Amino acid sequence: MSTPKRRNFQIEAFKHRVVVDPNYAEKTWKILEHAIDEIYNHNASGLSFEELYRNAYNMVLHKFGEKLYSGLVTTMTSHLKDLSKSIEAAQGVLFLEELNRKWADHNKALQMIRDILMYMDRTFIPSTHKTPVHELGLNLWRDSIIHFGKIQIRLRIILLELVQSERTGEVINRGLMRNIIKMLMDLGSSVYQEDFEKYFLEVSAHFYSAESQQFIECCDCGDYLKKAERRLNEEMERVSHYLDVRSEAKITNVVEKEMIANHMQRLVHMENSGLVNMLVDDKYEDLGRMYSLFRRVPDGLSTIKEVMISHIRETGKQLVTDPERLRDPVDFVQRLLDEKDKHDKIISLAFNNDKTFQNALNSSFEYFINLNPRSPEFISLFVDDKLRKDLKGVSEEDVEIILDKVMMLFRYLQEKDIFEKYYKQHLAKRLLSGKTVSDDAERSLIVKLKTECGYQFTSKLEGMFTDMKTSQDTMQGFYASQVAETGDSPTLAVQVLTTGSWPTQPSAPCNLPAEILGVCEKFRTYYLGTHTGRRLSWQTNMGTADLKATFGKGQKHELNVSTYQMCVLMLFNNADRLSYKEIEQATEIPPSDLKRCLQSLACVKGKNVLRKEPMSKDIGEGDAFFFNDKFASKFYKVKIGTVVAQKESEPEKQETRQRVEEDRKPQIEAAIVRIMKSRRTLDHNNLVSEVTKLLQSRFLANPVIIKKRIESLIEREFLERDSVDRKMYRYLA
Amino acid sequence: MGIQRDRVRFNVGGKIFETSATTLANAGRNSMFGAMFDENWNLQSSEVDEYFIDRNPACFSVLLDLLRTGELHIPTNIPEKLIYREALYYGLLDHVRASKFGQFDGNRLKLAMSVTGRAPGDGTAIRAGPDGGCCVADGSMVHVYDWMLEEHPPIHLNYQTVNDMGWIDSENIVISACERLGRGDGGMGLFSSSTGDLRYKFQVSHENQVKSFTAGALSFSSDYRIFASCKGRSNEYGIGVWDHVTGQQSDFFYESLGWSLGDADRLQWLHERNCLLVATLFPRKDNCYISLLDFRVKRMVWSWSDIEAPVTVVEKRVRDAIAMEDTSSICVVNEYEDLGFMDLRREGGCVRWSSRSRLMKGKMPDEPCCPKLALHGGQLFSSMNDSISVFCGSDWVLTSRLRRSYGGSICDFSIGGDRLFALHSEENVFDMWETPPPPII
Repeated sequence: MSTPKRRNFQIEAFKHRVVVDPNYAEKTWKILEHAIDEIYNHNASGLSFEELYRNAYNMVLHKFGEKLYSGLVTTMTSHLKDLSKSIEAAQGVLFLEELNRKWADHNKALQMIRDILMYMDRTFIPSTHKTPVHELGLNLWRDSIIHFGKIQIRLRIILLELVQSERTGEVINRGLMRNIIKMLMDLGSSVYQEDFEKYFLEVSAHFYSAESQQFIECCDCGDYLKKAERRLNEEMERVSHYLDVRSEAKITNVVEKEMIANHMQRLVHMENSGLVNMLVDDKYEDLGRMYSLFRRVPDGLSTIKEVMISHIRETGKQLVTDPERLRDPVDFVQRLLDEKDKHDKIISLAFNNDKTFQNALNSSFEYFINLNPRSPEFISLFVDDKLRKDLKGVSEEDVEIILDKVMMLFRYLQEKDIFEKYYKQHLAKRLLSGKTVSDDAERSLIVKLKTECGYQFTSKLEGMFTDMKTSQDTMQGFYASQVAETGDSPTLAVQVLTTGSWPTQPSAPCNLPAEILGVCEKFRTYYLGTHTGRRLSWQTNMGTADLKATFGKGQKHELNVSTYQMCVLMLFNNADRLSYKEIEQATEIPPSDLKRCLQSLACVKGKNVLRKEPMSKDIGEGDAFFFNDKFASKFYKVKIGTVVAQKESEPEKQETRQRVEEDRKPQIEAAIVRIMKSRRTLDHNNLVSEVTKLLQSRFLANPVIIKKRIESLIEREFLERDSVDRKMYRYLA
Repeated sequence: MGIQRDRVRFNVGGKIFETSATTLANAGRNSMFGAMFDENWNLQSSEVDEYFIDRNPACFSVLLDLLRTGELHIPTNIPEKLIYREALYYGLLDHVRASKFGQFDGNRLKLAMSVTGRAPGDGTAIRAGPDGGCCVADGSMVHVYDWMLEEHPPIHLNYQTVNDMGWIDSENIVISACERLGRGDGGMGLFSSSTGDLRYKFQVSHENQVKSFTAGALSFSSDYRIFASCKGRSNEYGIGVWDHVTGQQSDFFYESLGWSLGDADRLQWLHERNCLLVATLFPRKDNCYISLLDFRVKRMVWSWSDIEAPVTVVEKRVRDAIAMEDTSSICVVNEYEDLGFMDLRREGGCVRWSSRSRLMKGKMPDEPCCPKLALHGGQLFSSMNDSISVFCGSDWVLTSRLRRSYGGSICDFSIGGDRLFALHSEENVFDMWETPPPPII
């Protein structure tokens, strides 16, 4: 039953493809291109943003993104060609201004174009990995303007000329300069570096190389540094005004190299105005400038330091070896202190308290102070002088300051044990003669020595103070027990000194006058009665006595003399004339002391209680002495000092030195044993270096002496040599 | 913006809207409104009394509301996709994204969407992208989704089985795949996430010869390095290092005898310690190996293995491991979802298993799924069967559990871009969890 009429249904393909206007893309692009033209022509006020935005959106949406993008590149490139022509046409000063103006125009246009094409920037560009619109605009500007033939070279030359004329003192338009430089930086740091900075640094190097040459020929060191500093500041200021901050390090580097590093040696050694002159004349400002400039260049500070060290060493060496100066130890030390103060002040005022400079100063002082073997003695004498008289009435703080300065010098000493020796002698004299100004000052110095060198160093010194104190108590006890029988006998004041603590040389006592001997015996009985198991021996070479004497015309005086002098004078109670030999026999005073004592009794003007024949300055063995009846003095009390060479005489010096060497032996041996005990085996060189290190705080041990001590210890079987390696030592427990 | 009056009148597709310049300023300069009201374009503003925009007025209304309040409310009659398209037109897509979901918090997650894939096989891995997108490995292909869950062209390395993948940034994905014998296919490649184009293929050179290799687990460091476990055919087993900017190989850590690196299940770059965690685990190997590699000294600086550990009655095998730099420890998980901890400061320590009650025990599904661990913002996540547990605090207390009724057990999950993605082993479905924006009051 099929129907004959079969209608053929055929589904046709939908041929009618949805084609938008074939010219759609072209038309839309024309609208946008026109808009871009208008924007570049400053004629955008008639444009509809919404329409343009929508058109750009539609092009991307309908897959014409590629056309839009390439169209943009073409149009923008052609506009930039026009701009470049007008920039090129600008002459002279106008060139930069025109460039700046066109740059501003382009930036504004770029912003507006990007606004229109925002949708493309957001979707089409990232997915196709193309350059975003803003960056594209900058790249095109770079390629068609900044890197375009003549403009590139002209721009560079003009910029460098402007910098140059500013350097010669002209005023330039910094605002314009800043805009142009900022443009270069906006185009990428490589554009700024390649198109400007590179040449800028090159030209600057030339400029400063020539200028520094000119300056150094005609300026003294101080002026030169002033000029260099000013140039450096100018360059930093320039960077802050119109260059990239990252250029600062580079341009200052150029100035530093050309103006400072290249002329460093010449500046430092410049005749009449170099570093040494500045140091001598205390030119703090110039020195400070030199420091801050030289610090900027490699090896700058070490150059200053080396010159300073050699200068200080040289002047110091002159100071300590000048025989003129050695006459007065106090002045000698005072000069050292002044020298130190001077350089301390320079370092603090000009060298920024630089630690390395302080170290250099210290090492220089250490170097030259130890050039003179008498430095320890002189420093001790200086202290002695200060503590005897100079510090009288000085405030406690000032005393501290002086003592601290002395300690500083003390630190420089390598042979601290020698200082200790002398210090002990001087302290003993001060204590026994009761001459010390202030007990506090004495103790304060001892505390300082103790912190510096440890307990051992000062234990004997402290023992001396203890002796003084106990002696006072003992004397009180003695007189309390003797109340009944004092009578007419002389008053005795005894200081009981512990053997070992004091720098006494056991010397045979002289013959004391009978009057004194009695009292002495009483004291001995008393003392040994209260302290058992002790031995007393009289140190007649250290005592003093007050004598009442009557001279011609009944003049009475009280004479303050030493024990030796007292013994001599007492002889004249029974005789008017005595020969030297007679005195020597009667008193048994050692000849050198006797001579000194007679000299001070007979040869000092105004204090000559004795008369000598023949009259001469020195004492001879054949001299004869008379009681000087005509002695007169306006004072009742007359102090007859002993002519003491304050400094040691040559033989005494030898003796002290020998004693020091002798004292060092056990210390060196102790050090060797201590080291070997912990190391068990050690070779010679290491042992010597360790011993030296261990003893450094006290003295500089001589390797030869160390070797002798080692040999002595081997003999005494503390150590043995290794049977295989003769350089090795072994500790024998 | 050079607007004279505060009031602005729009005619959008024939409908009049009035708003204020201040509201529009919320759009920012980098939007259509920002450009439109810039003084460059607004010279004639005094003469114009309304601005015409040739767009959909309903969507404009939604977006204007977004600019006014910062919240996005889409009426049911408008498809979400339409809003996205319009937002893209106005340059407001970032605003929309920011208003869609709040800052990630494992305890406030809500299921936002389930996406069913079209892949023939089962998915194997999922990775969250930095801006809310994700990619799903499915056999030899990787499907890429952006944050709107729009699917982008899939990516593949000569259709070789994908082992691991990861987002370097929102534009770039690295995938690692098995080699094909003799063809030099497979290995590792860097792809554009939006177009699926291959940007680089990474190569392994061994004794100056380029070798084909199978790449496994991946990890990235913030200094542009890519780490991957590698298996070659001769002895190029170990961890390869590449620079993802240049695409060049920069280092290779050869595995030592008796220690497995080339088969690693998990790599994790530890930024503070400046070393790489490498974990090779059961069942890929019979034993578990966990080590920290320091590439500066070319040395294993910490290691642990269960080779000599006594086999206990309740067999506890480590199935995943994650390093926690804050507490200098490594967290591990076994097939019963027990958490264990190891101290990184002590060499050769043992696993301290946490003794929490095991509700799961005895109801293991027929097809057990590998437990996985993740750490995010001080919260620890552990997946087991069809749920994800969230642990917080210094004692890692169980605080939340995410579960969905269908899709089967979870074979992988990943957190990133303020979202959690969970891939289920059946139905090829993945879930997206978000933290809703904070409440109005």
